[in-house]
Amino acid sequence: MEFPPALFPSYFIAGPPREERGPAPAAGWGEHGQVLEAGPGRRQAERTFVPRRGGTGESWEPADAAAVPLLPPSASCWVPSLTPQDILYHGLLRRKVRAGRGGAVRALDFTKQLSHFFVDHPEDAFGSLGQLLHKNFYLGNSRLKKPARDNTIRMTALMEEIERLEARRGCPRRYLASRLRWFSHLCRDWLFEVPLGLLGDCVHEELLLQWASLLFDDSLTGGALAWLPPEDPGTHTGCLVYPGGQAMNHLYFQDVVLEELPCTHGSPTRFELNGHIRQVAAARVDGEDFVGVRSDYHCGVWRVPGRVGAAPTPLQVIRTSVPASCLTVSPHLPGELAVCTQSGAVYLWSIETGLQRLRHDPQTMFFRDHSPWRWSDFTAHPRVLSCADRTGLQCLDARAPERCHFDLFKVGEEAGCQQGERVVLPMYLGRAHPSQHLVTTQFSVYVLDERLPLVPMLKWVHMMKAPPLFAHLMPGGPGRSHKLVLGASRTQELLLLQYQGGSQSACQLVGSPQKLHSITSCLQHLPTQLPHRHRLLQQRLAAPAAGLAATLQEDRLQESLLVFQLSEAGDVFCQRLTHEVAQPPAVSSGDEVAPAPGSSPLFESPSSRPPGLGREEEEEEEEEQTFYLSNLEVIINEEEEEEEEEEEEEEVGTPATLEEAELPQEPCASPQPALALPSPAAALRYRRWLKGLSKGCGDRPRQSRPFTVSQKRLFTRKELEGPAGPSPLHGQARRQLRQAMREGVRIQRWDPPAPQPPALPQPPEPAAGLDPLSARLTATWSGEWGQWWEERTSFSRAQRQRALRERRRRQKRARGRCSLSASFTSSLTYQSELSELSDVPPPPLSPDRPPVLPREGSPPCSSPRPSSVLEDTLLSSQSLRGRGIPKERRKTLRDYLAVWAEDPPEPAEPPSSQASQPCIPSSQSQLSSASQPRRKRPRMGF
Amino acid sequence: MDSFLEEEAAATAVPAKRRPAAQPGSALLPALHLPASSSEQHLNFRSSKEACLSYIQDAMLQKQWKRAAEFLTFYVEALEKDYSREHTGPSEMIWRIGTEILCHHSRSSMKEFNSFIEQMKTLGVKRYLKVCLEHAFRLLCNGLIDEAYQILSVAESWRFGEQTAIQDKEMRLIQAYKGLLDYYSWSKQKNILLENEQDGSEDLSVEQEMHSCFRKAAVSLKEIIKMPGVWDQFVKCYVDLLEFYGDHNEARQVLNEYAYNSKFPANPNAHVYLYQFLKRHGEPRKSLISALKILHDIVPSHELMIDFNAMLQKSKKRKKRRLGLEVIFAALDYAGWKENVKAWNCLARQVKQIVISGKHLDWIKEEWNSRKDWWPAFHFSHYLAKRNWQENESLSCEKALVAGILLGKDCKYFKYVSHQGCKARVKRFRILKKFVNKHNPVYLRISGLSDSSVQP
Repeated sequence: MEFPPALFPSYFIAGPPREERGPAPAAGWGEHGQVLEAGPGRRQAERTFVPRRGGTGESWEPADAAAVPLLPPSASCWVPSLTPQDILYHGLLRRKVRAGRGGAVRALDFTKQLSHFFVDHPEDAFGSLGQLLHKNFYLGNSRLKKPARDNTIRMTALMEEIERLEARRGCPRRYLASRLRWFSHLCRDWLFEVPLGLLGDCVHEELLLQWASLLFDDSLTGGALAWLPPEDPGTHTGCLVYPGGQAMNHLYFQDVVLEELPCTHGSPTRFELNGHIRQVAAARVDGEDFVGVRSDYHCGVWRVPGRVGAAPTPLQVIRTSVPASCLTVSPHLPGELAVCTQSGAVYLWSIETGLQRLRHDPQTMFFRDHSPWRWSDFTAHPRVLSCADRTGLQCLDARAPERCHFDLFKVGEEAGCQQGERVVLPMYLGRAHPSQHLVTTQFSVYVLDERLPLVPMLKWVHMMKAPPLFAHLMPGGPGRSHKLVLGASRTQELLLLQYQGGSQSACQLVGSPQKLHSITSCLQHLPTQLPHRHRLLQQRLAAPAAGLAATLQEDRLQESLLVFQLSEAGDVFCQRLTHEVAQPPAVSSGDEVAPAPGSSPLFESPSSRPPGLGREEEEEEEEEQTFYLSNLEVIINEEEEEEEEEEEEEEVGTPATLEEAELPQEPCASPQPALALPSPAAALRYRRWLKGLSKGCGDRPRQSRPFTVSQKRLFTRKELEGPAGPSPLHGQARRQLRQAMREGVRIQRWDPPAPQPPALPQPPEPAAGLDPLSARLTATWSGEWGQWWEERTSFSRAQRQRALRERRRRQKRARGRCSLSASFTSSLTYQSELSELSDVPPPPLSPDRPPVLPREGSPPCSSPRPSSVLEDTLLSSQSLRGRGIPKERRKTLRDYLAVWAEDPPEPAEPPSSQASQPCIPSSQSQLSSASQPRRKRPRMGF
Repeated sequence: MDSFLEEEAAATAVPAKRRPAAQPGSALLPALHLPASSSEQHLNFRSSKEACLSYIQDAMLQKQWKRAAEFLTFYVEALEKDYSREHTGPSEMIWRIGTEILCHHSRSSMKEFNSFIEQMKTLGVKRYLKVCLEHAFRLLCNGLIDEAYQILSVAESWRFGEQTAIQDKEMRLIQAYKGLLDYYSWSKQKNILLENEQDGSEDLSVEQEMHSCFRKAAVSLKEIIKMPGVWDQFVKCYVDLLEFYGDHNEARQVLNEYAYNSKFPANPNAHVYLYQFLKRHGEPRKSLISALKILHDIVPSHELMIDFNAMLQKSKKRKKRRLGLEVIFAALDYAGWKENVKAWNCLARQVKQIVISGKHLDWIKEEWNSRKDWWPAFHFSHYLAKRNWQENESLSCEKALVAGILLGKDCKYFKYVSHQGCKARVKRFRILKKFVNKHNPVYLRISGLSDSSVQP
């Protein structure tokens, strides 16, 4: 145990932290910190210096494009964890939060929770009195008769009133209806089973707790994933210990064979436990692994013999009355663990001798902090334990805990901390160097040496967006750097650091920190999904991380680093990094840009655009970023969304756009040069995993799936085959397109220059004996409901044809002049009405499509739909007037039709088939493009 | 890379020019750019700035330096409207990120780095010293000591208004590093002089230069080591200077101050330096022991504890020999000493001595009492016996002796090792076995007879 002959210079000032800067986005870069003479160089005269940070480290390159699932998705369905949307008041989410970040208005939706309770558990809420008063409440519509009115009240009016209130939600001028006020005044005191005040207090308290755990959940500290390496490094089979099951209450020991892609071997050993597993800690002593498992009120320890295939045996369980916050396993003595509870007690737990309480102090050590979180770990001396709270670390001698202790780390000026900095995760780095400890805070990572307490050997601002709750050390041999992986929970961030030194030389941070793939990053490599599936998948993959494990593997001269990440959904993903011994002096591998063919077309990856052009993308991005950093709220820029909807019509109506914005750190959204495709083996894994997911959780997506009817069974192949060949119309359209492209103009109108109107698909002549209903249904079936309507409104066929021809001619003429009123009779009133019309944003789709019906049988790449030509006639004032509709009602009708048309297309429709949409002919397209230049918000800075 | 830097230079130069020009020509600007037009635009600018920054971070964390550099050229625009009151403004970020990129970019050179840093120095007054210091570090790490010295001297003479506490600290560091470089040139000249002396020639100018270097170095180094902190290399250099000029008292005072001032952290090296100084100057053993005693109290696991133990063993006083046993037991408590043959050898020798002499068995007993519940599992398990035997025979021999004495001849460790040793027909193991068997009653006395639970 040598101590470095000289340490890097640093000031040592006692006292509370002085610096206040908060999270600084780039504070970890560009500093050497200090330099130290590295001993005389080759010649005596030549001095060489080494920096504290920024020395050359080892080069580890990711072997695959993204993390790969290691285990099949768990069969039981995952219940998505709480999101801010669930408990925040929605009205505020959109607007207010934008203004400020720190002082964001976080209104918890208390009333919603309470009303959920009332609706979901009416028996518990109003049980007895509800039954008593049952007879005195009347829910019918009819008036009450005289004798009944004496002791019965009619609730219908009250209900209406409540509904009206709901409809006016968000309206600043809403007043409580007097009736409601009267009712609540009357019943508030006696109606509820649980007194309302008490219930409210409890709900509020719970909401605050949930909110606090949503902001930062420290119960996961340490992580619930452990890797038990093989006893003999030659064999490649280790054991992965992880929680699973719907409530994460099953403990699995799974043998894993480390290959190119690690794979499971045999079926796992399973133990069912009595609570949500929060932490799994492991250490190897004397060739045996001891695995400690912590849930809120129980801690257990298992022993896993070193041999491959040996079954783990449970050894002991303890129960705590206060939730335990820490469980660590001694690397020195078999069967010894350290346990902390939230009451401030620290225990040394020995399998043989039981629990020994070392300290019990509800107060924090160095200054007051409200957090009950405590942590304890082992040190170089098997009888000395470190014990930590949010303010720092102390070392206690278990033989005389009151007398023998010293301060190892303090949040203060001694370590150059910032104000507000708090300890997040301490860890004993004994495998790298017996006296080193790691301490992470929300801002920085520190490496400490217990031989020189209070002065960090290393300090680096890690710049992670969420505090690192997990860490894993892979010690490097002599002359090699120690690898340290830090992991955050909510954002799934993984960061690889390297450091060296500690005995012969002072500690140095070497190499540049490296971001590893998160679980969500594999989303872009998964096969394209239907939007709602995609959303579910996204939700699943973005579940907060719950654990981290890693291992070094040497295989035929190739050294690789395997990192496993566990998510709260119970998925274990892994990734491999390979060590590149000879560092190529030229371009680093990340710089090569390749398009991402694997990315989902739904969420167009901006990576294909050069970064300079992606401004708009950046704007959208930045919105995501904003909410993301503020770590709770979603900001949806509605305006832009509308724009987006107009621009990329394929996204119309899919709620995925909204959902996407809610996901933290969507890697495929950043304009990064896309990585290579996943290897075929990885792609296979993805497919299998996805299959397993849809099988395992099959009922879930089906439930949330909107109702659709498959087209395949509605029509026979023959029926669909009909117009498959390129029709003359097709050719025409193509020609027109080409011409437009050549000339660089836009296509004003899709109509063919032929004097004949497009051949209308003839409606089957109604059979003589058909009643009106079946005639209408037949017409609707063949997509000509509009025509049928026309016919019904006493337009004869001939008349219609004539009117159409007339209009076409006028339109043609109008194209020359390009005036607004081109397609209509030149009357001033029409013009004004038309401009009114053009305010309706998207051009009305065909009115012949009632929203519930599936799409009509026209081929997807259809010719201009005849019915939409009719629609103009239908909507034109002329025709309306012709039908005797009074002027003042015409607008209403038009609005109605427009709204109708605005209805989203069938959501189940794959986006590609929407290619037909731009072909929708509409005389309004001209109008809207002429009279409605897109309003773009001016953007500053670009 | 060249183009990147040019762009960078152009972009950084632009805002400096544009800002003053904006006031007279403000009528020319479109209404959009008026700061009063809306807060939303300001917000947008800020958030796009943040987005850009996050892309840079992303690229850097994936070692895509080229891409990060491209983004940085966009980010430079953030300087233009730097109204932020935040602690780390865009200029600091550009300095940090730019430095990092230039450190790793495949096509960057020292020349470009220098010109970049020179620009960065002009960007913020408060940061000037820090940037200079980092610049000097970078030059030092690249072996450009003269250039670094140049930078440090320029920075040292820089004055700007009143200095903040942080700037004061930085200034002292700058002076200290300059002093360190002065010391290096002093030692270079000293070597030349010594060589010349051997040749018999004398060079007055070299000597004069050496003395001036000494003065400069001594003044700057003396300043920094007054401040509480970890100043290992500065103290070492300063003491070396003083020793050369024969100022031993001053040197001793400096070292004492560094080791014993309570404002300083409990740095083991401070005690080591003092001990080495005392040893160099032939101080009596007593003072050496007292220096090491304090080191033992702070860091019982320090590697000098072997020396300390040896020193105490040689002492004739019983108390010291007792302390020696304590020291070696304490050292072996630590995980880092588990396989240290030297330490086990020390302990084995001492235990053997005590057992043979039959005196002071109570010393062992006392030491053993606080360890008997965990040393067997920590040091003398069956697994360790096997492993030590395979990996290091002499270690297992020393440990087996200690185990045999402390735990009796039936202890797993001793049994395994002696069995293996006899099987391999190694002579020392036979002797060992004989010795332990002969002195088995000692174990009973140490473990307090009645206590039979000790057996692992």
